Amino acid sequence: MPELATASLDPDRRRRVVITGRGAVTPLGDCPDEIHRALCEGRRGAAGIRGFDTGELPIHEAAEVDFDPTRYFQGRNLRPIDRTGRLVIAAAQLTLDDAGWDEEALAAREAGLVLGTMFGSIHTISAFDRRALEAGPKYVKPFDFANSVINAAAGQTAIWHGLRGINSTITGGIGAGLQALGYATDLIRGGRAEALLAGGGDELCFESALGFSRAGHLAHRAASSVPFSAGREGMTLGEGAALLMLEAAETTSARDAKILAEVRGYGSTFDPSRGHEPERAAAAMARAIRQALTDARCTAQQIGWISAGANGSPAGDLREGRALASIFSEAMLPPVTAIKSALGESLGASAALQALQAIEASRRNEWPGIAGLEQVDPELPLSGLGANPKRFDEQESRLGLVTSTGLDGQSSAMVLEVYCQNEEASR
Amino acid sequence: MQDTIVVTGIGAVTPVGSGREQVWQRLLAGASGIGPVRSFDTSGYNVHLGGEVRDFAATPYFTRTHHERVGRASQLAVAAARMAIEDGALHLGDLDLDRTGVAMGTTSGEPQEVERFDDRFVAGELQEIGDELVSRYPSHLIAGNVAAELELGGPNLMIPAACAAGNYAIAHAFDLLRTRRADVMLAGGADSFSRITYTGFARLGAIAPEVCQPFDRNRKGMIPGEGAAVLLLERLEDARRRGARIYAEVAGYGLSCDAHHMTAAHPEGDGAARAMAAALAQCGCAPGEVSYISAHGTGTPTNDRLETRALYRLFGDQARGVPTSSIKSMIGHTMGAASAIEGAVCALAVFENRVPPTINFDQPDPDCQVDCVPNTARELPVEVAMNNAYAFGGNNAAVVFRKCPS
Repeated sequence: MPELATASLDPDRRRRVVITGRGAVTPLGDCPDEIHRALCEGRRGAAGIRGFDTGELPIHEAAEVDFDPTRYFQGRNLRPIDRTGRLVIAAAQLTLDDAGWDEEALAAREAGLVLGTMFGSIHTISAFDRRALEAGPKYVKPFDFANSVINAAAGQTAIWHGLRGINSTITGGIGAGLQALGYATDLIRGGRAEALLAGGGDELCFESALGFSRAGHLAHRAASSVPFSAGREGMTLGEGAALLMLEAAETTSARDAKILAEVRGYGSTFDPSRGHEPERAAAAMARAIRQALTDARCTAQQIGWISAGANGSPAGDLREGRALASIFSEAMLPPVTAIKSALGESLGASAALQALQAIEASRRNEWPGIAGLEQVDPELPLSGLGANPKRFDEQESRLGLVTSTGLDGQSSAMVLEVYCQNEEASR
Repeated sequence: MQDTIVVTGIGAVTPVGSGREQVWQRLLAGASGIGPVRSFDTSGYNVHLGGEVRDFAATPYFTRTHHERVGRASQLAVAAARMAIEDGALHLGDLDLDRTGVAMGTTSGEPQEVERFDDRFVAGELQEIGDELVSRYPSHLIAGNVAAELELGGPNLMIPAACAAGNYAIAHAFDLLRTRRADVMLAGGADSFSRITYTGFARLGAIAPEVCQPFDRNRKGMIPGEGAAVLLLERLEDARRRGARIYAEVAGYGLSCDAHHMTAAHPEGDGAARAMAAALAQCGCAPGEVSYISAHGTGTPTNDRLETRALYRLFGDQARGVPTSSIKSMIGHTMGAASAIEGAVCALAVFENRVPPTINFDQPDPDCQVDCVPNTARELPVEVAMNNAYAFGGNNAAVVFRKCPS
């Protein structure tokens, strides 16, 4: 264990947390550069659902991952690991590779994992129970039971990759991935960990699709699920996993690590009305953003880009838009993107995917638009939103904001500082 | 100088009773909350015992929100949270509610919601299914339901770290207070009695047919239970300012992962020992200063043997002399609530210098040479109490409580 630094929000005393790697498995591929290009081209990942029969459902489209396990797993037994677990293990492999953490490094130093998820695998849990009901409790498989706990994907990933450090799972619904990144940041700042994979993952499955459609959260057609658009009808489900490697800055110089970005600040709040009082809900989201700015010791004027969590939900998008407008005046609002009309609402993964996308876009000085956005909701107090990508110069693009607000009261925001030059230098 | 974080309120709903005083007195008396399972039909199983919360009425604890709109784990959690606030004589009106947060742990969230879904699915009644898999089931709703009922706008986090989840939540709340992201935290765990959990442990052969007897030579397993506990945590200076009764200081914690096996502990107790060592290092305690250990102590042959091994790894032969009891012998394994209830026990042990027993103890096991406080509670000076919890996924957590500096 390292000498324990003082866990403190005092920016002069706490340790700096940098991002040294990223990995994602998404409906638009598993390469950050490809995902970025797809977003800038306005491509959309939703199509007819192939993973399960949608006959009982009112919706038939979602953004599925075309997942080929042989890309990531050679010669090891995948049977005891469910889809959520596989997605996360694959994202972890990509992230460790990107960050330069090989088996030898993992044996020498403790790395951990903080995973955000909404469900873990509700499919695994339900199928396990149905098997017991139909065949009898003696006929369930023990390894299915192991996966029935919500922290199964995190545990399986730790075993697969030998992650012996802190292993924790956060469930915050949509936005769990950002809560996980914030939690991991505090653990490193406070000296409790040196290196943590953090982010999120969720699968698409029949059970969650049924729940979301019965709750009235889904758009009937993916085409009408465009963030911030007039006439948006709801979200389109997605799936995937996205992780970032967070490390204490002071430990990265020794191994000459590539520094992609720094986590500058984080904030997280709860709206006790859970959206039923729209002004209070927007104020809770705005508080999270202010907390993140204060934590980062920066002002709203310094923010060069925003990646919003908006997913086409009529109420949720309006809440986030109002929160942003309460902090950024019209003249001051930087380019805003919302990636979920391209990638779907991947629940626990989605906010981590926003962070990954933001790092990629900022490094390339090109900020994607919002796929499919033609007419902005006139009720939204935001101007300048559109479908086309924007280019900006390097100075403008360094600091940015990732926001997420869920269905059940939780809101989070994170300020990232992206290091363009360092990346170029290390190429 | 870092802030000292203290426990000033305790709420609990358990198979042996509800509320801090009743639960504590019954645990000291060696009461048992184990009985035949009533939540579902166990005739297809070869085991039938459980630790269920009986005669629980949620109504009195819900004044702003509706108890019938939330799952059972949330009902237990809201009740425990209200009890903690009342026990701590905290007036919510005096607080900045936007700086008051909730951190809760769970193993299964609201499993009874999935089970109802599955019953209908199997019966071919999909059309009868509503929106409960999204509006009632997801685990993060537990922390949200507590905050919505109490109108708390601070950080709201759910940590489903399985059977160590209560400790993870207490640990996280401790950090949120130290980093001043929050001024007051409600932290604990909740789980409702689950057919899914019962089925799984039965299939693993882990459930005791007749009695849960941790550390006993003839122990045959654990007994699943349910419950909730919430600790009211705040900074010492705030507690003193409002004249609060202080049970104990939360002195530190340690987390680790075995990265070894999903359901079995590391054969040498590696992760468990690392978590304990990290916790003691953080609070500057030597192993010799630990007066009491609340064991994970599930009562399965393997857990208790490997837990003993981990204790010897850290404490050496001194392990034999540290009172180490398991209240799971009385209330069963309440899953995500377990380490929260046990955290309450540690805080009370520190406050009252008494420790609860391990009941049903008959014959010592040469593989478990610990002083498990057999069958009768004991009075002893408790300066430092350590709360151990281990979970599926190889998640280990130790939280240390100690007497509050005067």
